[in-house]
Amino acid sequence: MKMNLSNFIENFAEAIEDLDENTINPNTQYRKLEQWDSLAVLSVLSMIDLEYGIRLKAEVLRTTATIEDLFALVHSKNSNNP
Amino acid sequence: MIELSEKSILVVGASGNLGRAISENLISNDANVFVAGRDEAKLFDFFGKTSATMIKANLHEETERFSLVEDVVTLDGFVYAAGISALAPVRYLKQSDFESLISLNTLMPLMLVRELLRKKKLRTQSSIVCLSSIAATSGIAGYSAYSGSKAALEASMRCLAIELAPKKIRVNCVSPGMVAGEMSSAYVETTSDQSLESHFEKYPLGLGEPTDIASAVSFLLSDNSRWITGTTIPVDGGYSAR
Repeated sequence: MKMNLSNFIENFAEAIEDLDENTINPNTQYRKLEQWDSLAVLSVLSMIDLEYGIRLKAEVLRTTATIEDLFALVHSKNSNNP
Repeated sequence: MIELSEKSILVVGASGNLGRAISENLISNDANVFVAGRDEAKLFDFFGKTSATMIKANLHEETERFSLVEDVVTLDGFVYAAGISALAPVRYLKQSDFESLISLNTLMPLMLVRELLRKKKLRTQSSIVCLSSIAATSGIAGYSAYSGSKAALEASMRCLAIELAPKKIRVNCVSPGMVAGEMSSAYVETTSDQSLESHFEKYPLGLGEPTDIASAVSFLLSDNSRWITGTTIPVDGGYSAR
C-alpha cells in the first residue's frame, strides 16, 4: 500500500476511540495522549498490520515520540517489504 | 511425585514455553515421553540430552500429522500444548489470522485425536489434556478471535470426554493464566510494560511459573485423576476467582 502521512494520521485517529483527528498532527506526542491506553496500543499495532502489512511489537513504539516518527518507522519497514 | 513411570505420553507443542515445562515434568516423573514440535533446533536444544523421543512435525501438513501418529507407541497420555495468540480489535482482525487461530488452537487437537483413535494409539484409560486459556471465559477487548478459539476447544473437549468415556479415555483442559517466561506471546508483544504490570496485579497469588501449569497437566495424566473428565481446570493464581 502506498503510504502518505496525512492518510496515516487519519488511520491513527480512526484506530483510537474518542480521538478527534483534528486534534492531532505530525508533531503530536501520541504516547502522551489521554486516550493512549493498552487498547489503544493494540488498536494502533493492529491497524498498522492490517493497513500496511507491518507487524510491530509494542516495545518498538517506545523508539518513537511523535506520530511522524511512527509513520517514518512504518514507512521504512514498508519500503523494505514491498 | 506423581506416578507416571509406566506411561507413554505424547506432548505436541513441546518446543513452546509451556510444552517444554510439561515435557520436562513428565520426564522427571520417569514417563516415556515423545516430544513433538515444529522447531527441530529447539527440540534438540531442550530435550537432546534427555530420554525423550523427539519428533519434528508441522501440524498444518496432514502427512506430517500422520507420520507423527505413526512414530509414537500406543499412548497412555496425549498433551496438546501447541497454539498461537494473534490479538486485534475486530475492526482490524485479519481473516487469515482468525483462520490460523482456529486451525492451530481448535482444529488440530481434534485432528490429532482422530488420527490417534483411528490408528488405535490411545490405550483404554488413557488421558487427553489440552491447554486452553483464561481468555476462554473472560471478556477482554481485542481477544474475540483468540478467546473464541480457546472456548471452542474447551467445548469440543467436553463433547469428546462424553464420546470417549465408554473407552475410559478421559479428556480435560488446563486453563493457564499468564506465567513467567511468556515473553514472545502476542499479548506481550502488543502490550506496553505498564499494561503488563497492571495485568499481573490481577493475579491474587502473583505471577505463576510454567512448572505450575506442568504440575496440573501431570496430575490429569496420572491415575490420581481417574474420575475427572470433561472439565477445565484453571491454573491461574486466582485470576478467574475474581
